[in-house]
Amino acid sequence: MEPLIRRLRRELFATPLDGLVSIALIALLLAAATAFVRWALLQAEWAVIQANSTLFAVGRYPQEQQWRLWLLTALLAAATGLSWGLLRGLPHRGRLGRPWPPNDRLAALVLAGLALAVPPALGLQPAIQQRWWLITALLLGVRWAAGRWAPALPPALRRWIPLLWPVLYLLGMVLISGGLGLIQVPPSEWGGLLLTLMQASFAILLCFPLGILLALGRRSELPLLRWGSVVYIEFIRGAPLITLLFLGQNLLGFLLPGGMAPDRVWRAAWVLTLFAAAYVAEAVRAGLAAVPAGQLEAARSLGLPFPQALIHVVLPQALRVALPATVGQFISLLQDTTLLSLIGLLELLGTARAVMANPAFLGRNAEVYLVLAVLFWCCCAALGLGSRALETRLNPYTSTNATTATPAAPAQA
Amino acid sequence: MIEARGVEKWYPNGFHALRGVDLTVHKGEVVVIMGPSGSGKSTFIRTFNALEDFQKGSIVVDGIALSDDVRQIEAIRREVGMVFQQFNLFPHLTVLENLTLAPVLVRKRARAEVERQALELLERVGIHEQARKYPGQLSGGQQQRVAIARSLCMEPRVMLFDEPTSALDPEMVQEVLEVMQELAREGMTMVVVTHELRFARRVASRVVLMADGEVVEEAPPEQFFTSPRHERSRQFLSQIG
Repeated sequence: MEPLIRRLRRELFATPLDGLVSIALIALLLAAATAFVRWALLQAEWAVIQANSTLFAVGRYPQEQQWRLWLLTALLAAATGLSWGLLRGLPHRGRLGRPWPPNDRLAALVLAGLALAVPPALGLQPAIQQRWWLITALLLGVRWAAGRWAPALPPALRRWIPLLWPVLYLLGMVLISGGLGLIQVPPSEWGGLLLTLMQASFAILLCFPLGILLALGRRSELPLLRWGSVVYIEFIRGAPLITLLFLGQNLLGFLLPGGMAPDRVWRAAWVLTLFAAAYVAEAVRAGLAAVPAGQLEAARSLGLPFPQALIHVVLPQALRVALPATVGQFISLLQDTTLLSLIGLLELLGTARAVMANPAFLGRNAEVYLVLAVLFWCCCAALGLGSRALETRLNPYTSTNATTATPAAPAQA
Repeated sequence: MIEARGVEKWYPNGFHALRGVDLTVHKGEVVVIMGPSGSGKSTFIRTFNALEDFQKGSIVVDGIALSDDVRQIEAIRREVGMVFQQFNLFPHLTVLENLTLAPVLVRKRARAEVERQALELLERVGIHEQARKYPGQLSGGQQQRVAIARSLCMEPRVMLFDEPTSALDPEMVQEVLEVMQELAREGMTMVVVTHELRFARRVASRVVLMADGEVVEEAPPEQFFTSPRHERSRQFLSQIG
């Protein structure tokens, strides 16, 4: 590797003009950075975040019921640690597991660092600080244990572990909204990050299967199904989300028989779902188009009925191609939840606007928006990282075109 | 085993691809179909397992008449194996999984038993040590042998080969032909669309020459290659000879 100094010289100071441009840009960057640090440390008043941290996290969720959310967070952390550890520790496609690749060590360090630095920096209550530490410790502890003992896990048990997630999701719904002996907490009291994540996860989970069905419909040979899908997809893609959100709030009440219409929060969740499904459908359609026709022919010629050929042969290949675009759609969906503030829901942005409207925190917009941006970035980064891990796991060998494959070890016939 | 009578096919654009083709294939026969490209030979054998539809005539495969009934089509496909020019292996499955998929799903057989049979078949075609690899890691010739084994794993009564060696590098053609020859020797009923003259000469029970959607000549290989009766056959043989 080239020494850093020489590389900098070659890349930044190759000619006098280069040098001038570089110096000007570096000076500009330095000035901006120092200004930002000075603002963050001296001028900014983070009291607005401290005072409203609970509001940003869960909105007006009743204080005495918040233990349910902490419990859910702990369960999610444990499940994340478990899945993460197993993903690394289990042998896969003939390769041995590697419990702690360098990136994972870095990620663990970052998580521990965040737990140690962020709560004190934000001046959160000691009780919350301690819970944050406990949950991080739980995540990393389970992660370590899962990575360490993954190979010892009986294969029969391994197969059931992915099921943990849907179960946990349903459990989470119960914990958040109540039922099964827990007090009901109506959706109107959910808010902040909680509402944002609920809306996004609900829409992401449902728009995916819906999008697949729409994509299949669009490629169907039945005219009614095909044209229905085309009209739906093109209508949704042609209308701005905010319009559809307003439309949903007003229309869903008329469309569904009395009492069946969900309340405002769920109406918004359904609109988000139906909106994202149209875009996911287009991503999946591209994936379907990338699977050669011969694949379906081969599957059918082996006697597989059409649905089985689709499930076992065509869709696995199509979804692999569609995955990056689909995850991109999920990320924009997460960000689109901010539009819900415009229909009066107090998700992150709505909460932020309510806080900034409070005379006590007048003029503290920069602090609030900065925290919001960082929160969203964290969520999107987590989505992106997870999907990339999934992608590498699903793509052991990238060759999909059988005829251009290079021989690995030509056998002697 | 296969009884095709007056099969006619028009493509949606109006092209008359098959103009009343007749063919009878008896059990244990190896019928090689030859002909210039565009003569309809691939289209014709693809009608046998309903990968192509046809508008007139009738086809009976293993006692079952081809119709629009999906159940019957699937029943025929279970008994008719097909090997494609482009192999069409499933790239997301290992070689072994490629073989076991259909017997487990369609025949509802126990996985362990199917795997044992699959490994035997892979050994027969000379690639059982590659069973856990993915198709993309194999050479073209190896992939085509896997494709043959995949079809055989369904225990078909007839095998269709649609130009099985046309997409292969020349040095890999032989290994695939040897597997096919071995299969013919064991008494498999086969319909093979190919340009491999040596294979046709050595293995075929009958050679069929198609041109412009019609059967021009049908004869035992010695007669077809040494003294073809039709001008069109002589012309074709001189072009590829």
